[in-house]
Amino acid sequence: MQRLLNKPEDYVDDMLKGIYAAYKDRVTYVEGDMRCYVTKRKKEGKVGLMTGGGSGHLPLFLGFVGDGMLDGCAIGGVFQSPSAEQIANVTREIDSGAGVLYVYGNYTGDIMNFEMAEELVDFDDIKCIHVKGCDDVASAPKGEEDKRRGVAGIYFVIKCAGAAADAMLPLEEVARIAEKANAHVRTFGVALSPCIIPENGKANFEVKDGEMELGMGIHGEPGVEVCPLKTADETVDYIMERVLADLEVQEGDEVAVLMNGLGGTPQEELFIMYKRAAEILDEKKVSVYFAKAGEFASSMDMIGASISVMKLDEELKKYLSTEADTPFIHQSAI
Amino acid sequence: MEITREDIIRFIHKASEEMNANKDYLIELDAASGDGDLGMTMSKGFEAGAEAADAFGEEDLGKMIFKIGSALAAKVPSTMGTLMGSGFLEAGKALKGKKSLEPADFAAFCESYYNGVQKRGKASPGDRTVLDSLKPAADAVKQAVATGKDDPKELTRAAYEAAKSGVEATKHMAPVHGKAYVHREKLAGVPDQGAIVGSLLYKAWTETF
Repeated sequence: MQRLLNKPEDYVDDMLKGIYAAYKDRVTYVEGDMRCYVTKRKKEGKVGLMTGGGSGHLPLFLGFVGDGMLDGCAIGGVFQSPSAEQIANVTREIDSGAGVLYVYGNYTGDIMNFEMAEELVDFDDIKCIHVKGCDDVASAPKGEEDKRRGVAGIYFVIKCAGAAADAMLPLEEVARIAEKANAHVRTFGVALSPCIIPENGKANFEVKDGEMELGMGIHGEPGVEVCPLKTADETVDYIMERVLADLEVQEGDEVAVLMNGLGGTPQEELFIMYKRAAEILDEKKVSVYFAKAGEFASSMDMIGASISVMKLDEELKKYLSTEADTPFIHQSAI
Repeated sequence: MEITREDIIRFIHKASEEMNANKDYLIELDAASGDGDLGMTMSKGFEAGAEAADAFGEEDLGKMIFKIGSALAAKVPSTMGTLMGSGFLEAGKALKGKKSLEPADFAAFCESYYNGVQKRGKASPGDRTVLDSLKPAADAVKQAVATGKDDPKELTRAAYEAAKSGVEATKHMAPVHGKAYVHREKLAGVPDQGAIVGSLLYKAWTETF
């Protein structure tokens, strides 16, 4: 695998220097620590909204910081949690008295550091609520949703929470809407190759040529099965069957769909997949209120894709439909 | 018995030395059932804790222990770094305002250290984790203090012996958390690397006096 980088240990810091140079009018950092990333356009008085997590998933996590979405993000090394202190620094910066909502993926390291950060800012009297994205159907059975990992579907959770915070709702209400979005979104992903972590230059798992892994996590967590490579249509059939069943989508329902590339799959192929997803939903008489294809939660150079579906009601539509604009993501008002 | 500011500084430096001396051993054990970075993170983390203790200029020992924890966790936000940091944070809060530590305070340190790690990681004793050395150590000190023992050498020795027995016991425990669970079949007869880190912490206490 050939890569464009300098020293492997500078991978994250070099990336951040580039981002701050490119978007200097939009984002900055606090406490002299580039990994404490905040928007320059925080609306005063509203609930602060932040996330945090390992690098290697752009545009997740920092790419969701911007208008209508997040106010800040604590950034870890590749696939590593940020520290509690970094999370606390961002928390203090984005709080303007209304409290802070943490929305992050359901991973042990991140949970521990966000909980510890809450303890650290307790001295500053900042009220925090945690919402843990757990949309990955493949990572735990139905009924054990709280054990599921957070993957691309967190985009919807952050989008709805961001709109709710922008509407100047109080912390508990923003958290309720984020939890509701979280409970209504499901994702399933497939991997056709491993990904290579720059610091050690090695893949920490393997996907053989001619095979694919169904249900693999975005850090290479083992999936539910390995099988010979399917066609795009067959792959989408497999994914949609699981996602729609888990979400209990029925005829007449309205949904939002996110077609996500894992880093090494061309956009062309994402649309080839989306074609089939749209056909399936059409056959089932499920209407698509919103769809977006691109990269939302990638995994370095991994070849593969995931599909997220959110089941909508009037309230979720209201918060999904507003405009969002960050240096990495643009969503027009519906 | 009285544990002073200088004792705590000596303790955290000893702990840093122990983590460094056992770096390769921990890496080797961790590579079989984890990321293989435990030796590195503990060595770097406790070194940062020791630096924070050196730099701390106030009299409040609770606050000093709290600072050690936050420096450790900030340096190595890995699972074990955060857990060890959380132990110090909880112990620091329990000892807030103390300018020296009595035997009962040392027992409170051991117990709150255990509680801090347990609350953060949400594991239970018997799950083959660091708790399996921290809990016996805390219980041993509590019991020794209750029977009137107050010699720091004796108390810290009791803690370390109990922690070592705890490490031995992990050889026959089935892991239920994280990557160790995935590799559970390979681990029979092998001590848990997290529990070893806990015992090294108490080894450092014995070397303090």
